[in-house]
Amino acid sequence: MHRRRTPLGFLTAYVPEELFHAAGFEPVFIFHAPEEYGKGRAHLPGFVCWVVMSALDQALAGALDRLGALALAKTCDATQGLADLWRRNVPQIPLFHFGMPSRLEGPAVKAYLMAELRDLRDRVEAFTGCPIAEHALWDSIAYYNRLRATVRAAYARVAEYAPSAFYAALRDLLRSHRPALPGPSPLPNAPRLILVGPALGDPVLFEVVEQVGARIVGDLFDLGERYFEADAAENGDPLEAIAERLGALTPTPTKYHAAHSRAARLLEMVRERNADGVIFARQKFCEPHGFDYVRLACALDRAGVPHLMLELEQASQAGQLRTRVEAFVEMIRGV
Amino acid sequence: MSRYPRLQSLQEISEVMKRYYVQRSIMARLRPVAYVTSGAPVEILEAMGILTLYPENYGALCGAQGAAVGLCQVSESAGYPADLCSYARSHLGAAMSPKQAPLHGLPRPDLLVCCTNICGTVLKWYEALAEVYRVPLFVLDVPFQRTTPPEPHIVAYVSEQLHELIAWLQAHTGRRLKQERLRQTLQYAREAVSLWQEILAFGQHRPSPINAPDLFVAMAPIVTLRGTRKAVECYRHLKAELEERVARGIGAVPGERYRLLWDNIAIWYRLYRFFRPFMDAGACFVADTYTNAWTVALEVDEPFTGMALAYTGVFINLDLSTRLQTIMKLARRFQVDGVVMHANRSCKPFSITQYEVREALRAELGLPVLILEADMTDSRLYNDGAIQERIAAFLESL
Repeated sequence: MHRRRTPLGFLTAYVPEELFHAAGFEPVFIFHAPEEYGKGRAHLPGFVCWVVMSALDQALAGALDRLGALALAKTCDATQGLADLWRRNVPQIPLFHFGMPSRLEGPAVKAYLMAELRDLRDRVEAFTGCPIAEHALWDSIAYYNRLRATVRAAYARVAEYAPSAFYAALRDLLRSHRPALPGPSPLPNAPRLILVGPALGDPVLFEVVEQVGARIVGDLFDLGERYFEADAAENGDPLEAIAERLGALTPTPTKYHAAHSRAARLLEMVRERNADGVIFARQKFCEPHGFDYVRLACALDRAGVPHLMLELEQASQAGQLRTRVEAFVEMIRGV
Repeated sequence: MSRYPRLQSLQEISEVMKRYYVQRSIMARLRPVAYVTSGAPVEILEAMGILTLYPENYGALCGAQGAAVGLCQVSESAGYPADLCSYARSHLGAAMSPKQAPLHGLPRPDLLVCCTNICGTVLKWYEALAEVYRVPLFVLDVPFQRTTPPEPHIVAYVSEQLHELIAWLQAHTGRRLKQERLRQTLQYAREAVSLWQEILAFGQHRPSPINAPDLFVAMAPIVTLRGTRKAVECYRHLKAELEERVARGIGAVPGERYRLLWDNIAIWYRLYRFFRPFMDAGACFVADTYTNAWTVALEVDEPFTGMALAYTGVFINLDLSTRLQTIMKLARRFQVDGVVMHANRSCKPFSITQYEVREALRAELGLPVLILEADMTDSRLYNDGAIQERIAAFLESL
């Protein structure tokens, strides 16, 4: 018997999708929309990033009413505020808040994370009225591991794809679970770039990279390569397997792990992939990526790796981005 | 300013704070120095004889002295985007360029203790400091308090980290935590908090003997000297002076006509100047959400659970409905006629739900609410003309 799954929207890069999947939901990521419904600004100050503003705007406009619930993990202050606003203003879509720790190492973290996962499981079960069977959790873990293996295989050849097609396929996967990667279209001798930013950047960004004849060889987007880099174990305790995976991922800038440095990971990627440069694509008003940029840029400077900072807004202008990316790529090419 | 009576104790507090910075810069050569966030469990460090310094307080100082913009520009030229927290940009600017900073910057830290109960910004700020100074960083992770009281696993997590913090501090400084000393420190902290609660409660009198900008000056010891005898002494004097004002019927704003509630961090570069048009119209800010953040009482008998509860339950770490209840209670208890909210570009946790709070205050209490967008220390974001106009219109509406 195949039951139709209820879509569960999620925000942030630390939601334990497997747990919701095992409870009968289909987790789908809520990306910021290019269009504005004009509902969000009455509830949020103007100095909040478009990612958060757009999520609320879409919800208030009824554009997310197909969702059975929304889940978000503790990451940045804006998302935390969104959780509060959501509860009061979007009652038709119940919210699950997952208290992902901000620290990913230390003796107390694991016990807390496990307790928080159990607490979340209890809340989800109370909501659906149905206990989550252990075998369902294992099935969902295996399902997500397979999905991640597909994505990793695609990432292994990311440089061969047209950037906009590759990232459009990744967005579709996070929204619909259907991997639909187009055929590769190699572009020999194209400048090789690594992109860094929140969520999955912005589609306009990939179009611009493509237009200037560059290729993307890796990324440090919150929902990009790092999100798929580790699997959950398929034995032992299922919640523990989920917890271990969340802790093993390269941290996003909202998380602290003394020994798991994003700068080191970025430099390693630059070397491994033979990258020519790094583009930071930060959403305006995003604090975690704003601070993080300086640390990563310093590390790149020390290693002699060129980089460029772009600021994305609600209506990022392809023209403006293109001028800057073009100049950057020309510099890399030594034109 | 002669129209408005001055509180002598504020002069004393300002002197204490001046001495605090001078003394700490001298003592920094003899004792280990830790930078701490404003919501950190400072009692533990205090009891271990570790000198604490507050970059946030220093950021406010930079703002008040008009030095913040220059220091923010130092950070911005190092790559920090101009829309990041201005305390962080000011202080990082001072760390990178101490020569142009007030007091030539803070003394170098030996350790960094960052507690995430006030925002996520401090995590990034302290990571940056750990790189600038190449010193060890302890992150005390405090989860968001979804329910009141918080869930037991949250309290256990914070409490466990407090033990870890002690071991970490001992390992890095060679100093031991003596239980007796901790008890004494907690006792002082408790006493200071309780005096601070009493001081804030004076705003309930008509006329109120104290105005929000007075509290913004008076709050420095509850932040930076919590757990010391000095803070207790400062507040005993202030309390006595306020008692005397009440006995003699002296208000902070003579001829008090309106009683207002302030929300968010102060606008440090215009501390009294901002409030002047309100005062001239007979409006006194009798209560505020900012200085109220340091009123969480500490439990001395169960120090670790007590600290875990107190530091998890800080105002800004609470869910919106609990915060709303606190604000409503303040509005009722202090019998306010209106509310002014500072939409502070630097502080998302404080500002992000303000429209929601405004609607609730209007709907449930029928109060007029003014939201003004500005910044706590970056005066480039202060549009005086527009703000004066809106203040005048608001005062007229009262």
